[in-house]
Amino acid sequence: MTTSGTSSIEVSGVSRSFGQVHAVRDATLSVAPGSVTALIGPNGSGKTTLMLMLASLLAPDSGAISIAGHDPVTEPTAVRSAIGWMPDALGSWPTLSVRAALSVTGRMYGLTRSDAAARANELILLTGLDDLADQPSRVLSRGQKQRLSLARALVHNPSVLLLDEPASGLDPAARIALRELVRRLAAEGTAVLVSSHVLAELDEMADAAVYLAAGVTASREQVARASASARAWRIRSLDPAALAASLSASGILPQHITVDSLGTLVRVHNEAAAAELLAKLVAAGVPVTTFGPAVGDLEHTFLDLNRESNLHEDADTTQEQA
Amino acid sequence: MTRARSGEYLTGLWLIVTLELRQRVRGVAWYVLLGIFIVLVGAVTALLWFSTSAWMTGGGGVFSTIVFFVLLLGTLVSPALSGNAVNGERDAGTLATTQVTLISTGQLILGKFLAAWITALAFLAAAVPFLVFAVILGQVSAATIAVSVLVLAVELGVIAAIGVGLSGILIRPLFSIVVTYLIVAALSIGTLISFALLGTATKSEVTTVTRSVDATQFDSQTDEQSDVVCSAPHTNRYDVPRFDYYWWILAANPYVVVADASPGAFDERGNAQDLFGWIAIGVRGAQTPPELHQEIDYCTMATTDPGRDGMMSFGDNPTPREIYDRALPSWFVGLGIHLVLGAGALFWAWRRTDTPARTLPTGSRIA
Repeated sequence: MTTSGTSSIEVSGVSRSFGQVHAVRDATLSVAPGSVTALIGPNGSGKTTLMLMLASLLAPDSGAISIAGHDPVTEPTAVRSAIGWMPDALGSWPTLSVRAALSVTGRMYGLTRSDAAARANELILLTGLDDLADQPSRVLSRGQKQRLSLARALVHNPSVLLLDEPASGLDPAARIALRELVRRLAAEGTAVLVSSHVLAELDEMADAAVYLAAGVTASREQVARASASARAWRIRSLDPAALAASLSASGILPQHITVDSLGTLVRVHNEAAAAELLAKLVAAGVPVTTFGPAVGDLEHTFLDLNRESNLHEDADTTQEQA
Repeated sequence: MTRARSGEYLTGLWLIVTLELRQRVRGVAWYVLLGIFIVLVGAVTALLWFSTSAWMTGGGGVFSTIVFFVLLLGTLVSPALSGNAVNGERDAGTLATTQVTLISTGQLILGKFLAAWITALAFLAAAVPFLVFAVILGQVSAATIAVSVLVLAVELGVIAAIGVGLSGILIRPLFSIVVTYLIVAALSIGTLISFALLGTATKSEVTTVTRSVDATQFDSQTDEQSDVVCSAPHTNRYDVPRFDYYWWILAANPYVVVADASPGAFDERGNAQDLFGWIAIGVRGAQTPPELHQEIDYCTMATTDPGRDGMMSFGDNPTPREIYDRALPSWFVGLGIHLVLGAGALFWAWRRTDTPARTLPTGSRIA
């Protein structure tokens, strides 16, 4: 597909409201070809509305969108042939078999009957639906419908993929397969924007993230500040007593240490401080088995940004954790 | 270039039609419904054949009744099959996945309409053997058969268009199906009621001036009257309903359209030969405004035409055939109203369903 400019998805200052509800207020993001960008935000933050605008189904009230160099409002056909959209709602034609649904979708993209049938076969193998290929799609389970939905989004080899909650309902094996597939497509040059609530999932898939809260995308500085803020590290040791002694000897304040059934949580300022602490513990002979961030990078930033937006009304505290 | 493009358009359109027929219509339940329909039409044909002694008088009555019966069942089944074509798919989550493909909104709406129409036409096709039977009974002209089947097919298309259109305009499938039924009922029964009510509520006063013969001498040998004494003019006033203002309401009735469209068949006295003909005469007769000022001068008639008794010869009532030929063909008006309704519904649905959507109806989701 034609890609003018450097980004496959370019969104600036986009807003969209439904009556009194401002679903998206000010969204700005860009996704480069060959990269996977996570779209993260709490329920009702406007992720799906933003996805619908990118998928050329909804016109923005203001702002500019460019997909593969085309405006979805004025050139929907060009945008549609470039994007593959996997919606969060699972819809499938109930009486059609998996194979028929995929080849019908292929023909909707203008493939010939034989090309569409061949592409349907490829996608059935790719998504592991070969046992169910000739079953009507109404008998599929949630996870299987999810895979059919993904296959449908890939029918026309799109250069831009929009995945709305692709992992929900998938078993662990299917999640791993999804992750590998998304990484492989990105390696082949596809630009992927993926939204999910499973942040640990996105951590392993995405190489960039966009945070959306109350319809506004977080700025680069906000994200940098949030990801650099103090965070909890989980430490496990074969000798919990030695660990506790060594922690207080290292100068960690008692209020920054929490002990739960899974081990010990320690708040440290940044990765350098964490590395320093680990070195001290090892030097003190504490038998450490686990030392890592208690939550993933995305989750940490996400939680911190949300906390920040909640505290926004208060005076401009610099989020100091003493 | 344009030819290739229109070819692509038709391919996409036909894809939607076949998809719609495959997923919405094809099923055991639908064939059962068609079977029940055939049994019903068969029973009606047999009963009509016995009750009207059609083997003696010809198949005109049987034919008209079967055509009406197909229209009745078609209007009862069609809304249920077409009234949730768009919003039902939105609810099922398959509308948006079609809209992100290269299928245009026009292809989508038009394809759904064609599929709904084809479904309704299947009922007409199933009734064809019985129509042929009525034709074999005789007295039905080939033109009547061709025209009434054609107009019936168009009427079924209008109902399919209204059903698909409303499913694109209204959000809730149940609601759009019900509204489609209400529109069908308004056209089939509401037109009759409103025509009758409006016609009788609007009245005009008729003035009749009558001069009658008070006394006369009748010579039984010459059969002539003489010494005619006339009465003073007697004025009489009364109200008449003005159906001529509202005939177009009746014309919008689908049964009237089908009946009026078939070429009229009359006997030598100018009377209609089938049910369709009588309906057509009734509807076209309503176009004639009443004479608001009448002068009936029996007296002058008696003097100038003394050989007659002055009672039978006034006025010359037109035969039904003359009424029919003189009036505007009302099926043309009715079908015009229907086509505007159907096309308008489809156009509105197209506007409402087009993407990227700028305004969404409240309470609806795009996907």
